[in-house]
Amino acid sequence: MDKLLRNKKAIAVFMLPAFILFTLVLFIPIVQSVYYSFCDYKAVTDPVFIGFDNYKTLMHDKTFGIALKNSMFFLIFSCVSQLVVGLFYAALLTNIKAGRNTFKNIIYLPCVLSSAALGLMWMFIFSPKLGINQLLEKWGVEEPPLWLMDTKGHIILPMWIIAFVALWQYVGQSMMLYMAQISGISKSLMEASYIDGCTKAKTFRYITLPLIKPMIATAMSLNAIGSLKFFDLIYNMTEGGPNHKTEVLATHLYQQGFKYTKYGYASAIGVVLLILCLLVTLFINKVVKTEQYEM
Amino acid sequence: MSSSKSAVAELDPTSRKKIAPIQVVIYVFLILICITYIFPLLWVFNVSFKTNKEIFSAPFALPEKVTFDNYSFAWTAGRLGIATFNSFVVCVASLILSMIIGSMAAFGIARMRWKGAKLAMTYFLTGMMIPVHCVLIPLFTRFAKLGLSNTITGLILPYLTFSLPITIFIMTGFFKGIPNELIESACMEGANIFQIFFRICLPLGRTGLFVTGLMTFIGNWNELLLAMVFISDDAKKTLPVSLSKFVGPYNTNYSQMFAAIIIAIIPTIIVYCAFSNKIVDGLTAGAVKG
Amino acid sequence: MKKRRILATIMSAAMFATTLVGCGSDNNNSSSNSGSNGSSGSANDGGGSGSVEELTWMFWDDLNATEDLISLGYKDTIERFNNDFKGKYHVTAITTNLEEYYNKLNALVAAGETPDVFIVSPGPQLTDYVEPGVAAPLDEYLNKDGWKDTFTSDAVFTQQTYDGKIYAVPLNTAAACCFYNTEMFEKAGAKVPTNWDEMMEACEKLKAAKYTPVTISAGTAWCLSMVAGYLCDAEGVDLPKLADGSASWEDGKLESACNKLLDLSKYFQRTAAGDTNDVATANFYNEEAAILIQGSWVIGQINGSNPDFESKCGVFQFPGVDKIIAKSDSLCMSSKTKNPEAAATLIKYFTDDTAQKYTAEKGGKIPVTKVQYDASVAPKQLGYVMDVFSNAKGTFGFYNESMPTTETGAHFDDTMVSVFLGDMTPAEAAKDMEEFYKTNCRK
Repeated sequence: MDKLLRNKKAIAVFMLPAFILFTLVLFIPIVQSVYYSFCDYKAVTDPVFIGFDNYKTLMHDKTFGIALKNSMFFLIFSCVSQLVVGLFYAALLTNIKAGRNTFKNIIYLPCVLSSAALGLMWMFIFSPKLGINQLLEKWGVEEPPLWLMDTKGHIILPMWIIAFVALWQYVGQSMMLYMAQISGISKSLMEASYIDGCTKAKTFRYITLPLIKPMIATAMSLNAIGSLKFFDLIYNMTEGGPNHKTEVLATHLYQQGFKYTKYGYASAIGVVLLILCLLVTLFINKVVKTEQYEM
Repeated sequence: MSSSKSAVAELDPTSRKKIAPIQVVIYVFLILICITYIFPLLWVFNVSFKTNKEIFSAPFALPEKVTFDNYSFAWTAGRLGIATFNSFVVCVASLILSMIIGSMAAFGIARMRWKGAKLAMTYFLTGMMIPVHCVLIPLFTRFAKLGLSNTITGLILPYLTFSLPITIFIMTGFFKGIPNELIESACMEGANIFQIFFRICLPLGRTGLFVTGLMTFIGNWNELLLAMVFISDDAKKTLPVSLSKFVGPYNTNYSQMFAAIIIAIIPTIIVYCAFSNKIVDGLTAGAVKG
Repeated sequence: MKKRRILATIMSAAMFATTLVGCGSDNNNSSSNSGSNGSSGSANDGGGSGSVEELTWMFWDDLNATEDLISLGYKDTIERFNNDFKGKYHVTAITTNLEEYYNKLNALVAAGETPDVFIVSPGPQLTDYVEPGVAAPLDEYLNKDGWKDTFTSDAVFTQQTYDGKIYAVPLNTAAACCFYNTEMFEKAGAKVPTNWDEMMEACEKLKAAKYTPVTISAGTAWCLSMVAGYLCDAEGVDLPKLADGSASWEDGKLESACNKLLDLSKYFQRTAAGDTNDVATANFYNEEAAILIQGSWVIGQINGSNPDFESKCGVFQFPGVDKIIAKSDSLCMSSKTKNPEAAATLIKYFTDDTAQKYTAEKGGKIPVTKVQYDASVAPKQLGYVMDVFSNAKGTFGFYNESMPTTETGAHFDDTMVSVFLGDMTPAEAAKDMEEFYKTNCRK
């Protein structure tokens, strides 16, 4: 049996397809991407090494600044809002008996739908002449808001709208994660706290919350990475407009890489995105570890 | 779609037993929340049967007469029919391949005895942190040289690869949980290692395969960016791309656009309604492990 | 031991290859399937036996979903070509929407799959394909069989000529004009403006009569930038001098053009900031706004979407400018095409009498050949545009297409939108343009 499990040939057969694919399609391209980011490389020319020039240009690129700011906004907003709203929904759902599954399934539904399609749907709902503004018109509101076309303020209205749509779409995921964890807490622990005279709210605060802390970290890292990768919703709701004000790293990369075919420059944006993803993952992983010691 | 009603119906018998005011508040809350989920979808569904004029003259009324003209237009002119087919081919192919290749690697890591197993696991797991955007350009230029761009294969390869880390991760967990005795007894009966894998371990990892398969399929079915970059031929575009291109912000034939949106999401909704509990639990289990 | 390892490697490589081949054949099936689903069905007649020469033609509108009459005319031409050469040549159209067009074309060029024939705007965009040798010179074909003589004059090739060689064939000409709703003008008591002050006056009157005076798209940046281009030209901005550094953007000309743009922007529809080109145009033909400043290519779109509107639609030249912005759709041939003869024949189909007649009579664009067309059946707007055209003292290109690179053009578009949105003052815009030129355009 041991001989069977140590068979090198068998191991190779098991491992190699995945290994080759992974190396060819993921690992080598990553290395290439880092190399390209130091190159002047356009679609029809060959890459020429130019050192840090692309990164220097990045610093002066206004749109990149906006994109970075917006990506950070989505990162923070999604982490906080998904935590609060997700926990709130989970708390509501764990406190009812009848219809729990139905509610749960409805809230989870958008998670499995195409965010391209949902983005388009919300684009129409917030378009100046349709959807919400038709409702407002019915109620006699003059000069209804322009929603996705508004450009006033530090974080402009379209950004908030997209952020809320993202919350709407993905909160089911966080909610389910929290519910799974809450339902894992032993009944006897809960009952003990009730016997000690705790109210439901108090139990939630002192028993449930501390016990789901690791799950908070898991859900948060999922949200964080997800929000950095953000593309579909923005592409279909605003295409980065008006005037690049809702651009994020992913859309800016797409624009620079495939509209202006500045492959080198776009790779530099990609590298920034990669570094951000790694940092966020590392940061959250660290938080997870400390909290597991607390348990 | 009528699920919110049934929820209310379910509510009645229990609330007869004891009516705690807090429960009523919670239910009101939940129903309000669910309205924000169902109403937009219903609105799009309703509008998709109207004419362009009706959308503006009577936006919230039911359509005057139900026709499927908008749908047939979106299906043929928007090429959503072909796109659905393409999406299906791409997703099924990458699903099957990633399940086979992924669980093979997972088995190699979980059960085979070799020094590099842990290292291999780490190697694959780093893949989970890498956003697709970073490899977009090198992959695109390389595939272009290999003649893989603008082909379905060129889309299956990255889809398959990007599904591998999660597949390997989850399946490793499942294979590790298989009791040693089972493998030993199979060994005694003279089964070779591949028989052990395909006849014993794979069937035992059914749940894991279901979970990873679900995640892979849904993820790839909805993927936009890669498909948009790699496929330029209308006849090979996948559903999210064709939809985005057809609807785009450049069109003013609203009713047809709404029909297109419905076409794009209705298959998922139907499947979801049929198996919602399994899907929700499966995806959650996958996410927890991921 | 080593041998075994190599063996294993080869084995799994072979496995990998078979899976690839598996997908490959899969893919072939699906593409032939979709071919038969596609509209023009003669694709499968040859059965891939190689007797039919396959061609690709790339265009920026979806031929199956469009209501634009010019695009529909192109679709007819393609079908005509496929019918006439059944069994010999077959053209497949690759289409995208306008916004994505160059992304996709560049992607195909990079992939070494340049479409055999593709449409391009003259200017830096065409230069982008001529300089690296993506587009092939066409003189050889134009000089054959008197093709070139069918064009109205050699001047139609001016923008398509590089070093004395013609790299693209124009299909039609369009001029940027102001389209207006005659009924609204009448009711508001506004008269057709001939200079800038009259324009402001007319807008004021329209506004007083509760009409939206001007519909424009800033969501599609070039639409707004086209107006800015007219205003700049009126102020005497000299692009070639700016490009070589003998003039500065900060000489006050751009600034006063921007101020005029801001004056005009008071009369824009509320949603101008985000409306896309199509939406802004729809505002006009759905009679929600009185003036649309657009190229005459919209005639096809207007009359295709709302045929009843033709009688109410008037045209006047952009006030305060004596020249006119003109643009032509042009077709390029790939230098790597396997069948240049067929590709040239395809281009020729777009400039034959049938196609050119359609261009004028149905599409409402100015034909490029000497074709005789029936002016009485052509859209009324075409007559007006022809009048504007003959009264103009000359033509100039789109501003964003007259700058050194496509990116510079896009930067100009974005800057103009920023001015309109109030993110930049006109003075800041001038400074920004000057800086951009300094770092990117002058060497």
